[in-house]
Amino acid sequence: MLDLKKTIKTMPLHLKLKRYLFTFFAIFGPATITAIADNDAAGVATYSLAGAEFGYSILFVLFFVTILLAITQEMGIRIAMVTGKGLGDIIREKYGVAMSFAVFGGLFIANMGTIIANFSAIKITASLFGLSPLNLIPGIILISFLFVVKGNYKTNQNIFLLSAFFYISYIVSAFKASPDWGKALSSVVIPQGIVLSKEFLFASIAILGTTITPWGQFFVHSYVLDKKLSKDKLKYEQAETYFGAFLTDFFSFFMIVATASTLYTHGIKLVSGEQAALAIKPFAGELAGTLFGLGILNAGFMGIIIVSLTTAYAFSEFFGYEGSLDAPFKRGKLFYGIFLIQLLIAGSIVMLPSVSLFKIVFYTQSLNGILLPIMFFFLLTITNDKEMMGEHINKKWYNYFAIISSILIVFASIITISQNLFHL
Amino acid sequence: MLYYSELEGKQIFTEDNIKIGTLNDIIFKPSEQAKVTKIVIKSVHKNKFILPFKFVYKINTSIHIQKSFQISELEENELFIKKNLLDKQIIDLSGNKIIRVNDVILHENVTSGLTLTVSGVDVGWLGLTRRIKIESYISRLFHKLHIPRASVFLSWADIQPLDLMRGKVVLKKEEDKLDNLRPEDLADYLEQTNERNIRRFLKILEPKRSVEVVSNLNLNYQKDLFQHWIPEKCAQIIQNMEPDKAVDALLTVSRRKRESILALIEEKKRNIFSNLISFSKTPIGKRMTPIFFTINSSATVKDTIQKIKNDTHNFTFFATIYVVNNNNQLVGVVNLHELLMQSSETPLYKFMIQNLIVANLMTPIELVIRKIVHYRLPAIPIVDSNKKMLGIVTFDDIVDIISKKLFPSYA
Repeated sequence: MLDLKKTIKTMPLHLKLKRYLFTFFAIFGPATITAIADNDAAGVATYSLAGAEFGYSILFVLFFVTILLAITQEMGIRIAMVTGKGLGDIIREKYGVAMSFAVFGGLFIANMGTIIANFSAIKITASLFGLSPLNLIPGIILISFLFVVKGNYKTNQNIFLLSAFFYISYIVSAFKASPDWGKALSSVVIPQGIVLSKEFLFASIAILGTTITPWGQFFVHSYVLDKKLSKDKLKYEQAETYFGAFLTDFFSFFMIVATASTLYTHGIKLVSGEQAALAIKPFAGELAGTLFGLGILNAGFMGIIIVSLTTAYAFSEFFGYEGSLDAPFKRGKLFYGIFLIQLLIAGSIVMLPSVSLFKIVFYTQSLNGILLPIMFFFLLTITNDKEMMGEHINKKWYNYFAIISSILIVFASIITISQNLFHL
Repeated sequence: MLYYSELEGKQIFTEDNIKIGTLNDIIFKPSEQAKVTKIVIKSVHKNKFILPFKFVYKINTSIHIQKSFQISELEENELFIKKNLLDKQIIDLSGNKIIRVNDVILHENVTSGLTLTVSGVDVGWLGLTRRIKIESYISRLFHKLHIPRASVFLSWADIQPLDLMRGKVVLKKEEDKLDNLRPEDLADYLEQTNERNIRRFLKILEPKRSVEVVSNLNLNYQKDLFQHWIPEKCAQIIQNMEPDKAVDALLTVSRRKRESILALIEEKKRNIFSNLISFSKTPIGKRMTPIFFTINSSATVKDTIQKIKNDTHNFTFFATIYVVNNNNQLVGVVNLHELLMQSSETPLYKFMIQNLIVANLMTPIELVIRKIVHYRLPAIPIVDSNKKMLGIVTFDDIVDIISKKLFPSYA
């Protein structure tokens, strides 16, 4: 081991770089996939809506969201890699059965809501493009189940990464909308034209809430664990986390730009974010609209798989069952079972015409808001626990930063909940 | 049997009814016999201290301790139930996740002062409901709905104490590997768990294997099983056991049950068993095997080999050929080596050993052992007063007797 380190030290620079890159690509995956999945169909809808409503000015929020996302995800992967345990494992072992039931119950219902939101985005977009949801949704359920059960960790990861590639469609859409790039870019770092209204505040919080989620915290944790990375790769995985956080909002940027430069400029208000694909067509052209729609379908597909995987991972952690994409079906029956059940329930609910999807999504998002502070409580107590984290506990300044971020997020979620409950 | 979750939080009083605090954790020594050594008390002033378990003299709705007690400390080889065992992940030898420890089962013994040992862990969902204090409601509900509810346990014997010290709950065996064990080992393994678990386990074994496993179980365990099973089930197992073992098993149940079991067994075997049971009151009878090979002294080597091929396929022990005359009286023995050395047309009486070493039903077992050991016999024939053979006591039987004397714990 020592010799290896020495050899690396004496290597010429280009070889050294090559080595680092090689290791980076070997560990590459978990943080990027989680980050991309944060832009699920519900996320895309939120960004589109915000872009249409507030134009480039909302882009400034992205800057903060990126930093917050990076910090929270980093804590998650650090805990996972140092302790070798998932968030569910730690909650069960440290806080017992009652807390496990409470957190898992909350997560299950909230994730259910997110999956429903993604299904409904798929349904709306599909019907806009003349596809029948009656065939599409069962088809998606079947394909998702097969590829999670049959594929191992590696194939799944590669399909996720391939799916991430489709997010490029938003970039094309944004370019087709011929935006004012100078203004768009500068709006990210310098606040421009922000009107601090109640609506703007809520839109900002909605963006925060759709990007930083309880399931996202659980998922990055479990997914890093399932990759079985060793502790000495921590530095690389941290680097990937920051890269992933950047990538999330890199794509969000183009989603907002696409609607901001078309709908906002022409003063067209969207009723729901999913309609963005159709609404931008007259301004950005047929291709941009179609690509945007495809993007939403892809995001929805990725969202339902990753969110229900999160619940399955959490279940096996809380209650100690085998839970790995590498596990054969026989061993991981419960893991795959939980995954499928959620898809079936959510799929059926979405296909029922009489159910108000809006209300379901609305309430489950409030539940996400309640869960998020609890998640941060766990993240912060664990990352400050010397017995568990050893030398990897939060550095002092990092801790302040993490605490301030958490307070911000908690504050935001409290506002969302009270808005939802009291119709402010 | 006590559950840890029922003990946690119990109030602790001294003999003069002064409240000391509540139970916060239990400390035990993680070895084969996981004895509880200390308890952790959260005092009324909210600070924790450790008390040796020897001061505890009664556990009911609350825990009672002697009034003159001394505080102690955690030793190096001790572990906490709550901190180190409860809620931990259980993995098998190859690292597969099995389940979590939902509750810890403690066994209370009051024979020589109150002692508590960790006897296993609850891994069923009922354990989970117990932890959140809704077990009684769930149980009542299921009872009303006529849904059977069973706890799922892992015996302490299944868990590797050493790994526990390293913070892992590891099973001694792989779950699905149990099937590849030899029946003797499986029996040993099962003996370390309780009778209910044995029954559950036997249920999933194929019939032939469960006969083997039952035969290898300690007689006390067999007794529990046969007392519990219905006669049909007993008969099914017993008639496939070796006769001497079958009789041992039959003798463990009541006379009435024995008769109803025997009635269900096919006639030929029933007669053998009945005979053996009547012999069983003698010192030799209960050790004796009624399966042996006899042949007339005029038979040739060729005849003998043919008869062996025809008659002995279900023998579990075969070493000596017993030669009888026309009156069925034992007149000689031939061992297999001698038989093979002779030409095929030679009749047995020409080379059989006529200087016989035998015993009868009333011979003391010590003498039988001495004879077998002294003459290096693979088995000794047991004859009646008319020199007719009743059975044999084999070297294996003797080894059993000796090893039980030498290693009482083995029995």
